[in-house]
Amino acid sequence: MGFSEYAAAREYLGIIGNPVITYILVLSLFLGFLSILYLWKKKDKYYDILIKCLYIVTGLYLLGFIFLVWFHIQIYNTILIQYPAFLAQMIPVGESRMVIPMWIESEKLYFWAMASMVFALTVRKRKELMAFLGIILTVFSTIVYFFSNPFKEPLPIVNSEITQWFSTLSSGDASIFQVAGTLYGRITYYYNSTYMWIHPPMLFVAYASLVITAVACVYMLRKHEKVYDDIAYRYAKIGYILLTTGMLIGYPWAIEAWKDSAWWWDPKISGSIMMWVLYSAYLHTRIYASKGKMWSVTAYLGIICFASLVFTYLLTYIVPGIHSVVQP
Amino acid sequence: MKLKNYDYYLIILTALILFAIGLVCVYGITYYNYLAVNPQWTNTIQYSRYIEDMNSYLFPFLVLLLLALGLCIPKRLLEQDFLVKFTALSLGATLLLTFLSGIEKGLVFLLATMIIVQSFVLIKTIKRSNALRFEKEGYAGRLGSSLLHLGLVILIFNFMTLQASSFHLLIFWAGMIMITVGNIFSFYPEWINSLLK
Repeated sequence: MGFSEYAAAREYLGIIGNPVITYILVLSLFLGFLSILYLWKKKDKYYDILIKCLYIVTGLYLLGFIFLVWFHIQIYNTILIQYPAFLAQMIPVGESRMVIPMWIESEKLYFWAMASMVFALTVRKRKELMAFLGIILTVFSTIVYFFSNPFKEPLPIVNSEITQWFSTLSSGDASIFQVAGTLYGRITYYYNSTYMWIHPPMLFVAYASLVITAVACVYMLRKHEKVYDDIAYRYAKIGYILLTTGMLIGYPWAIEAWKDSAWWWDPKISGSIMMWVLYSAYLHTRIYASKGKMWSVTAYLGIICFASLVFTYLLTYIVPGIHSVVQP
Repeated sequence: MKLKNYDYYLIILTALILFAIGLVCVYGITYYNYLAVNPQWTNTIQYSRYIEDMNSYLFPFLVLLLLALGLCIPKRLLEQDFLVKFTALSLGATLLLTFLSGIEKGLVFLLATMIIVQSFVLIKTIKRSNALRFEKEGYAGRLGSSLLHLGLVILIFNFMTLQASSFHLLIFWAGMIMITVGNIFSFYPEWINSLLK
């Protein structure tokens, strides 16, 4: 097992994964069409097909996720980073394997979309809400397909790190010290970190739950029915618990991985605090939602909270910082 | 003012303070982006100034938030007129300390006060004291609310004063567990109550 087997597995993932994500896109577009049709005509036959479609799309997302898990296992099995003896003073271990989580790079939006699909199935009895959610999920799947397709070019950063490692190792280039140092840091404090298996998935599952809250808040404003407040609150509770604990778990990880690096008040951290305080405000105002104008204040706040969530997610791509992929 | 109206205005005040903290964060993101034009800026004195500036913008709102929490929590123990006096006294002492030694010292004093008060509330809650008055009914909801508020205050105190301590992470985990358990107990009191029976 080695680099060539890894490269073959990566290519094979594209072969088996691309049809799945294409079907996801096509069926999601159909789901969106059915959602609009149901909201317009209010006929149950459209809704029945919509729900069947949602089940199939969710199933396809899960199938694609299984393919990704398989690929990650292949990375673990095929890639063994063996540090040359002359690096022993710099690298405290002789070799490393890569335990890559399923929520990095282009896979994280896929994971969020998949979790949102699963949560959407839990509100399938609320027809109008579900149909509106169907439109949101269609947009989500379209964004995943065109901007964050995990099968088009699987894990590009991980791939470039692996490729660079083996090419530097074989060429005997002096840059091996820098390449090895960076790779060891990435493997130890990022990919293989236990926190990586807790902090991001908790946040993405929270985000998925909070999608339902946002949609229910839109319906609170439209319909002025208490049931939508109940739904918004039910999913906000799940989201808030995961958001709070998930965010806090990032703190000891930051201390361990970034040490004296400039991470405090980094844009992503500021964004996360902003999102958390807004959701805290939403949960506070909700207590008195039935009093005066608090009903609409709560609903608007729920929507603002979700806008802040999307903004916080996008910060990684639009503002430089220690969490970001963009450079100044 | 009736207790119900008092709670309502307290919640409005808390929401406004939280919203203001959100605005401080938006300012931080914008300013960070502006400073990052120079890729090396975090290695310069500008970064420590940025951290100091951001903390100085946050601290007044944190003081207000703690006072709001302080108004919220001791109402479970104390009469309303006494509570107003207690808060005024806390605010006065905090302002005096801020004036003499800076807002950080004032905030630490307030945090220490809140830890004492809320630990007292938690002990009373665990003992199922009748002296406590809660919005939430049921043992789990009350316990959750107490744990949540105490955990939050402990975490902020830990961030502010014990970062260099060897107990920093231990206290962090304790605070985090209190917040998580507090959230679960507060949000799902019926389920927890049924488990506790």
